[in-house]
Amino acid sequence: MNTLIAIGAGIAVLGALGAGIGIGIATGKATEAVARQPEAESKIRNTLILGCALAEATAIYGFVIALMVIVMLK
Amino acid sequence: MEELAKNLMEELECKTVFTIPVLGGLEIKESIVVTWIIMAVLILLSIFLTRNMKIDHISKRQAVAELIVTKLTGIVEGMIGEKGKAFVPYLTTVLVYIGVSNIIGLFGFKSPTKDLNVTIALAVMSIVLVEAAGIYYLGVKKWLHKFTEPIAIVTPINILEVFTRPLSLCMRLFGNVLGSFVIMELIKMIVPVFLPTVFSLYFDIFDGLLQAYVFVFLTSLYIGEEIE
Repeated sequence: MNTLIAIGAGIAVLGALGAGIGIGIATGKATEAVARQPEAESKIRNTLILGCALAEATAIYGFVIALMVIVMLK
Repeated sequence: MEELAKNLMEELECKTVFTIPVLGGLEIKESIVVTWIIMAVLILLSIFLTRNMKIDHISKRQAVAELIVTKLTGIVEGMIGEKGKAFVPYLTTVLVYIGVSNIIGLFGFKSPTKDLNVTIALAVMSIVLVEAAGIYYLGVKKWLHKFTEPIAIVTPINILEVFTRPLSLCMRLFGNVLGSFVIMELIKMIVPVFLPTVFSLYFDIFDGLLQAYVFVFLTSLYIGEEIE
């Protein structure tokens, strides 16, 4: 049973994959944007941080669910 | 591991502080008491900062108060735009409240936002405000018609959105606060010296304030979408 719970928690954390890809793409595009328009850097940084916070949510959901799986099912 | 899980559950459980003996006993939870403390601090601070206001020869205290108000309303106004000026005071209040309650864990209190009920209440308040703004600015007929836009076939999805929006708002806030709390506990368990300080800067202060910003940003985005 314990093994199954561990596997379930691991699968739940796979949601972090999306956050990683999303933040990677966003940062790449932000770098491009700064290279193209260095004077807009502060605005781009704000947007990037906001976008990262939104993209991070999927990872957080996965983490919360994994934690619930471990704590509740035991 | 067993001990950690027990400790975490103990920390996450919201204890009843006392019971008001009306309507068969109203339970007052810890999160409500901490919310009262935050409210008291913010109200006293506002009263202290806004006493004796003048138009010229302003005191240092008034300068600080003006700076805080201008900066905070400036942030919110930048998000919601000219049209939604009426919502700026409410959104600023929510921003200050969530920001303070996310970082109040540093002072030894239990963050109210770590209680799911608080975040649900905030999210429900947001969605009620969004829909009420839609009705107030557009009128009932146009507001109902908005559900069938851009084409009639998406109506179920638009209706579903009324419920998924607050759900995602409250789960995002709660999950972030809970997540950063658990990560901090794990770090404290592995390396008790120095390292928690560094990570606390990110997880407690930066992430807490950022989540307050994101909550208000999304609410103002929904309002802006609704009233245009």
